[in-house]
Amino acid sequence: MFFENVDFSALELPPPALKLREEVRAFLRAEVAAGSFAPRLGHAEFDAEFTRRIAARGWIGMTWPKRYGGRERPYLERFVVTEEMLAAAAPCAAHWAADRQTGPSLLRHGSDHLKEKYLPAIARGECYFALGMSEPGSGSDLASVRTRAEQVGGGWRVTGQKVWTSWAHRAHAFFVLCRTSPDSGDRHQGLSQLVVELKSPGVTVRPIPFMDGRHSFNEVFLDNVFVPDEMVVGEIGQGWKQVTSELALERSGPERYMTTFPLLVELIRRLGAAPDARAQEVVGKLTARLWALRRMSLGIAVALDPGADSENGATRTSIDLGTEAALVKDMGTFYEREIIDAARLLVEVEPAAATLDRLERYLAETVVCAPISTIRGGTTQVLRTLIARRLLGPVK
Amino acid sequence: MTTLNDVRLMLVESATRLFADHVDDKLLAAAKRDGWSASLWQELERAELPLVSIPEDAGGAGGTLSDAAAVLRLAGRYTAPVPLAETGTLAAWMLAASGIALPRGALTAGPVRDADRVAARHHSGRWELSGTLARVPWARIASRLVLLADAPDGAIVACVDPVRCRITPGANLAGEPRDDVMLERVAAETAAPAGRGVDRETLKLRGALARSLMMAGALERALELSVQYAQQRAQFGRKIGQFQAIQQELARFGGETAVAVAAALSAAGVLERGGDALLAVASAKIRTADAAREGALIAHQVHGAIGVTNEYALHHATLRLWAWREEFGNEAQWAMRLGARTQQHGPDPFWSDLTAA
Repeated sequence: MFFENVDFSALELPPPALKLREEVRAFLRAEVAAGSFAPRLGHAEFDAEFTRRIAARGWIGMTWPKRYGGRERPYLERFVVTEEMLAAAAPCAAHWAADRQTGPSLLRHGSDHLKEKYLPAIARGECYFALGMSEPGSGSDLASVRTRAEQVGGGWRVTGQKVWTSWAHRAHAFFVLCRTSPDSGDRHQGLSQLVVELKSPGVTVRPIPFMDGRHSFNEVFLDNVFVPDEMVVGEIGQGWKQVTSELALERSGPERYMTTFPLLVELIRRLGAAPDARAQEVVGKLTARLWALRRMSLGIAVALDPGADSENGATRTSIDLGTEAALVKDMGTFYEREIIDAARLLVEVEPAAATLDRLERYLAETVVCAPISTIRGGTTQVLRTLIARRLLGPVK
Repeated sequence: MTTLNDVRLMLVESATRLFADHVDDKLLAAAKRDGWSASLWQELERAELPLVSIPEDAGGAGGTLSDAAAVLRLAGRYTAPVPLAETGTLAAWMLAASGIALPRGALTAGPVRDADRVAARHHSGRWELSGTLARVPWARIASRLVLLADAPDGAIVACVDPVRCRITPGANLAGEPRDDVMLERVAAETAAPAGRGVDRETLKLRGALARSLMMAGALERALELSVQYAQQRAQFGRKIGQFQAIQQELARFGGETAVAVAAALSAAGVLERGGDALLAVASAKIRTADAAREGALIAHQVHGAIGVTNEYALHHATLRLWAWREEFGNEAQWAMRLGARTQQHGPDPFWSDLTAA
């Protein structure tokens, strides 16, 4: 029923991954000691300098082929780097979308031109991507996008509006899901993916401030923007299939259950060596639930690793862990909130954004961002509908 | 590397076939009355499944603890009414590790309750055992009880004939024997100093691991039944599986089941490799017990009233889930231990402890 072919018993990190973990930890300790970044929760921080420093270590695009700037490392090692960054609340927003989504999509579907143009620059930490999916009229119902691309000589003219586009004001380019032929009844047909450079004429980026005043969301207007043919990702008309084909890794990564983890560490610090029985039980339970989610996430990452002989570094397609991956996101996003409530209820603390007390600040940062995790990348309700469909099959 | 090896695949395949061929409603109904299924036990013995993970040179069937874990998950999935975990994972493990020959037949092990003790003293050339043990699984049907007893010079492992003990029958919610055993200077048939790694803590860890694996399997069974029911049952002119309210519950149930499977199987690997057993087993028992609470109630909610009847099969899984979550320490007990350790170690090693190999 689940994980039929995954050997959790044998799942342990090989020596190179353990060595890598120590390197990442040492690097992050030195960064924090040097004051190069301030750990923050909630909104991921965009720090191009930090991104370039970790790129120099080979930690961006690390599973990609060497000819595109990658290191051809196993997924497991990327998993280790990702979870260490999250544990340290490191500022990874600049490379996040490109490392996790854009790069793998380009590897699988992109032309040689696109791969050569973007992947090495992403891996050097010099090129940042945003994702142009949602629109004012298309939230959960992504296939209803209305941004249109009309074919013209040598390319496409794109008109429409994207929304909730994180870091579009800092990124160089974004993936745009748009309609390239009219809705013919099958709404999943006629969609395509284009790479649009954000400095192109006709592109306007406007901030959408978050409720705490911070700026990462944007709306992006596309007014008759010319996009040359070579910027088409994969095949015209296959956009839906391309967007949904690589969701397993995206949904099951440590970022789905670890974004409030540093708050748990601060809670443990505040509780001290011998807290009361209630606190012990809550901390023990949170530890167990994190351990279990992590094993699940790790099992998926390793099972999807295509192995060293892979052509393009894309996930192994012979193993379908789509349901299990969606379940990691569903449970992980709720787990993150359990940490918030434990911190609130076990110690006397009030959320305060501008304070030197780290527990108070982390609490403030996580409380205001708590609603986002169960909305972005597919709401809980849509995700569960999808999971149920996979469990039930077609019910007639 | 992390897909199943051929030996495990063959083991899983043959065990699945055996359980599927033999465990049916009739067998389960009879076992509810009789306490177990002797015929299923014979089939399992013929296939050498009870002694998987016990070394061949000690009289076992060979294989690893992870192999045994795969079998226990299946035993839970088929709600097999036999002392599979007690015979291999607990009793035979203690015997083999202590260099004692394995007796034939179904075995059980004790003590299972933290407060219970068996005292052993050497008297005219043999070991005599005394003590009162609560809720020993399957004691009245076991051919031998394998006990971890306190002797003046340290722990010993002893094998006794249940006929020599006073046994007060009891049962868990699913009707599995959980008997009180009283020993008054009962002579051990065989005994030896407890072998390497055999202690009360490890006995409990292995018991908790076994129940975690069985709960993961029973959750799979309850989910399977719930999915089938939602596909077939019609109300308001539609199959209930077409209602989003039901779909959302089944999805949540799916998550609880999947994470239970991942946690229980992972814990077996950690114990096998000699990793952080407390972290792994406590986490598995806590998580599978939480999943049992959530999952069993969703299963019944999806089924409506038919699910609570004696004739419908769901209760074989849910009654076991509700019983097993308490056995070998419930989620609160393990969480307190794990939490106390976390707090003692402090915040800084927390992440490295969690990610240690």
